[in-house]
Amino acid sequence: MPLADFLADLDQLLAAVRSALDRAADPAALEAARIEFLGAKSGRIKAAQKALGGVDKADRPAAGKRFHEIQQEIEAAFAAARERISAGGPAGKSAEQFDPTLPGKRPRLGHLHPLTQTVEDLKEIMGRLGFTVADGPEVEDEWHNFEALNIPAEHPARDPLENFYLATAQAAGGGPLLLRSQTSTVQIRVMEQTRPPVRIISLGRVYRPDTADATHYPMFQQIEGLLVDRHVSMADLKSVLRLFAMSYFGGEVQIRFRPSFFPFTEPSVEVDMHWNDRWIEMGGAGMVDPHVLSAVGYDPEEVSGFAFGLGVERVCARRHQVTDIREFYKNDVRFLEQF
Amino acid sequence: MIVSWNWLKDYVALDVPVAEFERRLMMAGLNHESTEPVGDDLAIDLEVTSNRPDCLGHLGIAREAAVLFAQPLRLPAAEPRQGAAQAADLARVRLECPELCYRYTARVVRGVKIAPSPAWLVKRLATIGIPAINNVVDITNYVLMECGQPLHAFDLARLAGREIVVRQARAGETFLAIDHKTYTLAARMCVIADRDRPVALGGVMGGADTEVTHNTRDILLECAEFDPLSIRTTARALNLHSASSYRFERGLDSQGVDWASRRACQLILELAGGELAAGVIDVGRAAPERPPITLRLSQLPRILGIEIDAGRVREILVALGNRLVRADKNQIEVVPPGWRRDLSREIDLVEEVARIHGYDEIPEDVSVPMATSARSPQDRVLSRIRHVLTAAGYDEALTLSAVEEDWSAAFSPWTRAEPLVSPTPILRRCDRMRRSLVPSLLGARRTNETLANPLIELFEIARVYLPRPASLPDEQLMLTLTSGGDFYAVKGVLEALLADLNPAVELEIRDTTLELLAEGRRCELVLDGEVLGYLGEVSAAGLKRFDLRGPATVAEIKLAALVDRADLVPLYREPPAFPATARDINLEMAEGVRWAEIAAEVRSSGGEHLEGLEFKEIYRNDELRRGGLKRVLFTITLRSRQGTLTSPQADAIRDQIVASCRARFGATLVA
Repeated sequence: MPLADFLADLDQLLAAVRSALDRAADPAALEAARIEFLGAKSGRIKAAQKALGGVDKADRPAAGKRFHEIQQEIEAAFAAARERISAGGPAGKSAEQFDPTLPGKRPRLGHLHPLTQTVEDLKEIMGRLGFTVADGPEVEDEWHNFEALNIPAEHPARDPLENFYLATAQAAGGGPLLLRSQTSTVQIRVMEQTRPPVRIISLGRVYRPDTADATHYPMFQQIEGLLVDRHVSMADLKSVLRLFAMSYFGGEVQIRFRPSFFPFTEPSVEVDMHWNDRWIEMGGAGMVDPHVLSAVGYDPEEVSGFAFGLGVERVCARRHQVTDIREFYKNDVRFLEQF
Repeated sequence: MIVSWNWLKDYVALDVPVAEFERRLMMAGLNHESTEPVGDDLAIDLEVTSNRPDCLGHLGIAREAAVLFAQPLRLPAAEPRQGAAQAADLARVRLECPELCYRYTARVVRGVKIAPSPAWLVKRLATIGIPAINNVVDITNYVLMECGQPLHAFDLARLAGREIVVRQARAGETFLAIDHKTYTLAARMCVIADRDRPVALGGVMGGADTEVTHNTRDILLECAEFDPLSIRTTARALNLHSASSYRFERGLDSQGVDWASRRACQLILELAGGELAAGVIDVGRAAPERPPITLRLSQLPRILGIEIDAGRVREILVALGNRLVRADKNQIEVVPPGWRRDLSREIDLVEEVARIHGYDEIPEDVSVPMATSARSPQDRVLSRIRHVLTAAGYDEALTLSAVEEDWSAAFSPWTRAEPLVSPTPILRRCDRMRRSLVPSLLGARRTNETLANPLIELFEIARVYLPRPASLPDEQLMLTLTSGGDFYAVKGVLEALLADLNPAVELEIRDTTLELLAEGRRCELVLDGEVLGYLGEVSAAGLKRFDLRGPATVAEIKLAALVDRADLVPLYREPPAFPATARDINLEMAEGVRWAEIAAEVRSSGGEHLEGLEFKEIYRNDELRRGGLKRVLFTITLRSRQGTLTSPQADAIRDQIVASCRARFGATLVA
């Protein structure tokens, strides 16, 4: 008998033992299996031992070694089965019982920061509306943070006390650097590099010297949309915002504009949305100011555009009923785990 | 801006409920903050945006209401009776700094009787929160709150030389204001002086020495126009803000200066008596003429998306006080009123028409053309990273972009340049723009330790700011982890992350000397010769520096390198058809041999059938230690694409690997 055949038979035998023991649910079945395999007279182990004699003489040591291993494994399997059945296995009658209501072995999952989740939601919706994410620096020069945005030197927003100017650092042109106070800077950078049409959202951290309290933090995140093309009007703005709000909140939403003032848009509006029977402030918006279009080399007679901005913390806090936005930056694990 | 409901009704008939008034104003740009009853009056708080200083007086708000409710505006009288004496003979004004004070006007009233104001005036001021002082001072406040133009009354007898000099302050000059505090002035501040000394800080606050008291008989009434920027700088520098400075900062109606002066004189004659000298001392520039603005009607549908009837457009513009120059079927030309300095361009008129016509008229259901948008590779990689790390049990943190000086100095592997500093700390002592996220995350660990949170596994994805000379800083996106687990726990997470992004990348480990990390348990991570990041357990000194009680391991990697190498669209490879065979190899060798060397040797000697190499464990006992030896157990997986490897074939490969390791490291196979 060739060695390979003998070894294959041994493997089959072991598999058969395991299968029989798995099925054995009570002492009687176990005894039946014992007789079948371990029976001293006609047990299948005994038969295999006899077959060992038929293996070629040269292969006999190898075959014997394997036979011995298999024999030990089978004995161990019987011992385990015996223990299981006497302990009252699946259908056993022992006092100990399997308790399926015990907690499972749970892997620890981490959690994404709620602000990230909000940003991802907003990005995803705006992506479906055709807006591509654009990125820009947080440390800016005065041209991108102010001048190109129609905020001239005498404007109160330029006051050093209203901004985080950086000591000694200088832009390429020699001007001072500051932390951006809005993500509109990214719009300028994109428009400087791209011809219309432009349809982007810019988002990220912005900085204003507010005292930290439940509704203010000197660093916060903004998300801003910009669409510039021929024939873009406030009706497009209102319609895009409505689609956006309906996607984010679900259900029917109405949009309301209230006049407001931002240097980089004209007309400028505050946007409210009517949802669940009440008006909720959503953010600021408006038509891109012709000065801004000119500053980036666009012809305001040829193209027009709208822009809108939301504070991510505010949207997120409202959605999850977080009452103090400082929680977002404290990073208490017990807070993070809730989202 | 707090307005009195009764006061407004002097100028415009408001026979609507106050709630309706509030709503209409809000929808026209004056946000309603609150309404409080004060006696039989209401104090209505309206938010006035910085472009609308004309609404910082009752008349301005009444004017808006008149337009919205289609009512006429009733302007109060401002034609006081003048006496025979000429103002110019009673006082002199010299304007030395026309760049700080554009225009200065003075009127003189002699023989006034200073007394408490009548009840109606006291009540009105009380409604909007202004205490009554005496009739003349109350009148200047009243006219300020009526039309928004600040005024100041001086006791003429106390002006040395009966003279007003409008000039720059001398550096170090001091001034006693009516709040009875002494301010030290700086050059570039505009002072109103008499012959000898400053008597007022122009546009900001009057002086104590020349204020109107019950002894005052003759007054000089100042009504001027100051440079907004200089007023703001002065008010800020002295931290002295007043209702006047607030208005001058925003720019006032140049054409309204004389009206306000006459209006105040009229009230003074009525309530305090006396005689108004003839004429006005008026120095500086005259109110500039406003150039006309043309509104092309075609711009309305272009910008607003709706057509508005030409007649309606004209009606709105005229009602708002614009003077119609000409109009035809295509365009309307108007000269804006003096009080609307914010109107200078066509687009400004478009906004005015829209605001009064009503934004509710703009539809919210037009179809916007579709456009493509794609997620950037960076966004896709970040999303993968976040999935892997949350699955690995890490919570995402977001920390402040700035840190305090000591933390900034604690760890800066990416640059030796000094951090960017904001002279105003972003928060508390945090004034350094961070060069690494590691200090911030160790700070977050500490916060959580303080809160007794048992498990603190955090990651953050954010920028560091690496300074560059004469340029914006290099803002590099970093992925930073902190864990209570050891070096290998964090390394394993990084390895899993890399394998998820691109199974083919090979991480190389180099030694580093970063001091925050414990010697011997820190390393530099290298990809294709480029430093990807750093990993290590925080040293005892490092833990102390961050007040940490428990152990901490940190890692920081530069995301740009990962984004570049991520294989976002893997190509299918057919799984092998034949089973693999495994062999364990247990080698005894010198302590100094590193796994990376062993792995390289195994790979190079294993031949084409070597498919996998898995480290199992290192074993040491006292005897081995004495000999400077260790045992390294690993498993190799072997597979052929042509057929099942036989046992002798597998053994042969194993033996070849063992032989190579023996030759290379002097390793011996442990049975």
